[in-house]
Amino acid sequence: MKKALLSGLLLLLVLPLIACSAESDSTTTKEVKPLVTGAIPDQDPEKLQRQYTKLAAYLEQELGVLVEYKPVTDYAAAVTAFKVGDLDLVWFGGLTGVQARLQVPGAEAIAQREVDEKFHSVFVANKKSRITPFKTITDLKQLKGHTLTFGSESSTSGRLMPQYFLQQAGLKLNDFKGEVGFSGDHDKTIKLVEAGSYDVGAVNEKVWLKRVDLQEVDLNKVQVIWRSPAYYDYHWVVNPQVKQRYGDDFAKKVQNAFLKLDPNIPEQKEILELLEANKFIQTKNSNYAQIEAIGREIGKIK
Amino acid sequence: MSIDPKQPSLLNWRTLWGLLFVAAVIWSLHLAGLFERDQVNVGGWTLVVRFLLAAFSPELSSEFLHLTLEATLQTLTYAVCGTFFSVLLGLVGGVLSSEVWWLSKGFQAYWLAVRAFLAIPRAIHELIWGLFLINIFGLDPLVAVLAIAIPFGAITAKVFAEILDETPRTSLLALLNSGVSPLNAFAYSLIPQAFPNLLSYTFYRFECSIRSAAVLGIIGAGGLGYQILLSLQSLRYEQMWTFLIALVLLSGATDFWSAMLRRQLGATSRLDLNVLNLSQRQKPLDQDHRLVSLSLFGVIVLLIFSFWYVKADFTKLWTPRTAQLLAGLIQDSFPPDISQLSQVLTLAAQTLAMSLLAITIAGIGGILLSFPAANNFLLPGGILDPGRNSHLGTAVLVFTRFFLLFTRAVPEPIWALIFLFVFFPGILPGAIALGIHNLGILGRLMAEVTENLDQRAARSLKALGATGSQVFLYGVLPCTLPRFVAYILYRWEVCIRATLIVGFVGAGGLGRLLTEQLSSFDYRGVIATLICFICLTFLVDLISATVRRTLR
Repeated sequence: MKKALLSGLLLLLVLPLIACSAESDSTTTKEVKPLVTGAIPDQDPEKLQRQYTKLAAYLEQELGVLVEYKPVTDYAAAVTAFKVGDLDLVWFGGLTGVQARLQVPGAEAIAQREVDEKFHSVFVANKKSRITPFKTITDLKQLKGHTLTFGSESSTSGRLMPQYFLQQAGLKLNDFKGEVGFSGDHDKTIKLVEAGSYDVGAVNEKVWLKRVDLQEVDLNKVQVIWRSPAYYDYHWVVNPQVKQRYGDDFAKKVQNAFLKLDPNIPEQKEILELLEANKFIQTKNSNYAQIEAIGREIGKIK
Repeated sequence: MSIDPKQPSLLNWRTLWGLLFVAAVIWSLHLAGLFERDQVNVGGWTLVVRFLLAAFSPELSSEFLHLTLEATLQTLTYAVCGTFFSVLLGLVGGVLSSEVWWLSKGFQAYWLAVRAFLAIPRAIHELIWGLFLINIFGLDPLVAVLAIAIPFGAITAKVFAEILDETPRTSLLALLNSGVSPLNAFAYSLIPQAFPNLLSYTFYRFECSIRSAAVLGIIGAGGLGYQILLSLQSLRYEQMWTFLIALVLLSGATDFWSAMLRRQLGATSRLDLNVLNLSQRQKPLDQDHRLVSLSLFGVIVLLIFSFWYVKADFTKLWTPRTAQLLAGLIQDSFPPDISQLSQVLTLAAQTLAMSLLAITIAGIGGILLSFPAANNFLLPGGILDPGRNSHLGTAVLVFTRFFLLFTRAVPEPIWALIFLFVFFPGILPGAIALGIHNLGILGRLMAEVTENLDQRAARSLKALGATGSQVFLYGVLPCTLPRFVAYILYRWEVCIRATLIVGFVGAGGLGRLLTEQLSSFDYRGVIATLICFICLTFLVDLISATVRRTLR
């Protein structure tokens, strides 16, 4: 009995060694690592997975390297993974993109959709709250005493800019009823406001319009009460390590691959539709100076 | 206790702690804002109703069940690998931090130093370890395995050291005195002697690892916790219930197997391990070696399978990239940023209040439910056998046990997310979530206390014609209550550590601040918050130990 136990224990001690040696073999056989893409999880993750596998296939064909999509579950984790080099090409929001570039010197914002250079947030409200739509930013004061939820802590359109506009209107977060919520993503915000858990929610306009288009929200229950001024938001950021791996002009090649996406070619049209773009345009780091300044003001960038 | 039949004075430790406890609960409720602010978010009830209704129609399509199986395997294999490394660390750390080891080497003071050092990894929750390790290992299953292994290794080391110190030393001393080297003497005397207790604790750790692996899913490690979080976030409750059922089954099966095995080995029960009551060893039942050897075989197969399945890149442990990233992280984190200190201290008070409310809910609920869950209580021949309707007793027992299993199988952050439907973010939903989860654990532990109770007092009262409630109040409660209090205090220490992870999903306290700081990459602020949090856990440990000592 005891012998059996002891020999069992000995065997257990050897196990991790076996695991290690097998692993190191496989890393030496892979010569060129694949290009790893990712995205901040701002929407339903199952939908993201579908969108990005299509895109990965396109990039593979355009760039001539293996492309892999790695799902990430948290905004901050996406930035961290980019920083440690596990993600090479990431679809960031305005704020997360700035956070990522500040931590990875040499990282570049390369492309975005047309809509992203003039992006808007919307405040949506449950109709039972009796808040009526308004046009001017100072009218945000009406929201005082209601319940409010943002999206994720690190969301540009669901937290950073809405909080900034509230500040501009002279509202503080403790002017709201109870504590301000953080739903996690835009879809959840819409559903929470629709169900009445919160009177008001701050949402990415693009996601809102898409849900309205697909008739996934009940417009008898929720309505837009205010549309924010425009700001720069989502963009692709490429990690400088790809230049060492695939050559100096690789970032440029990736940029071209995005700019080349043509809505007249059926396969590419499908990808553009999945990413909700008409076409991609160029962008650059300096476009995000305003986001960086607001991020510092609100304390999301140190 | 004096021999005089005098009335004992009311001025004793018990009254003092009792009064302090009541005061603390009132203070906590005040901090939770129960007396001034709106707490309940009436708008959320429709979602709760939808959530509960979905329990009757979990999604069972074959494709979805396949996904559930994969997620279950992932959680299981993380737990297996995590436990393996934590036991390894625990053995080394346990020997090094035991008093008897340093005694055998001739330096007595070192064991205290090693013990103090091990207290730090123990104070930090697995989830925080996970978030830290992502920064140096990136997106790799290794993060999940080590996030379990490091804190659990430190806990295991502490318990192993205590087990070794409590084991009789005569044979060890005999070997040492005859000139055997300390390592050999340990391997041939103390370790084999303590083996059943060490093994028993290992299985208990495995049960904890399963729960922990599920929680780690929430920061993206994958597995059941991750899937539950996803389906909850996208409000697909039918799918969520399927995952929840899988988690309850996995957790229940592990608890059952581990309890069986412990009984076969005649090892200490789950509860005595928790408060180190090693003298309470049970007699082995009819020794059935088949179960033990079958289990051993099962463990080996499971380990091989798990290491193959998790596909963690262990080479990352020693690659230069890891060292570089670690150095960079340390550089970014020091010196700690204490500019927010006053906010941190306010939140620390809230966190303490949250843990107090949580343990009050768990303690009272656990005591109430532990009696119907004990198998010697309402069943035929039990202490309070109703006699007439024995099926009712069985039904109550099964229902209560299932309820306890369910509440403890669902991780605290998931409970918190559910309660956040109807409460505003703050310490109250966090406290209720922690309370419900710990209620399941305490209820089960307390039921075991009642099951192991010396029944002679109750039986003689019954024979003398006492009514059911009299038997309960005078024959059962006085014997069980002191041990209940000991477990409640022990669990409070666990609760304070878990406040961080409910704060993470939006309940209040230091966890909420930590989420903000982590998502702002404010590492210097993170370190300041963590230091404050560790001090808070030490304070709670100290109070808990003092109360336990004075009540003994």
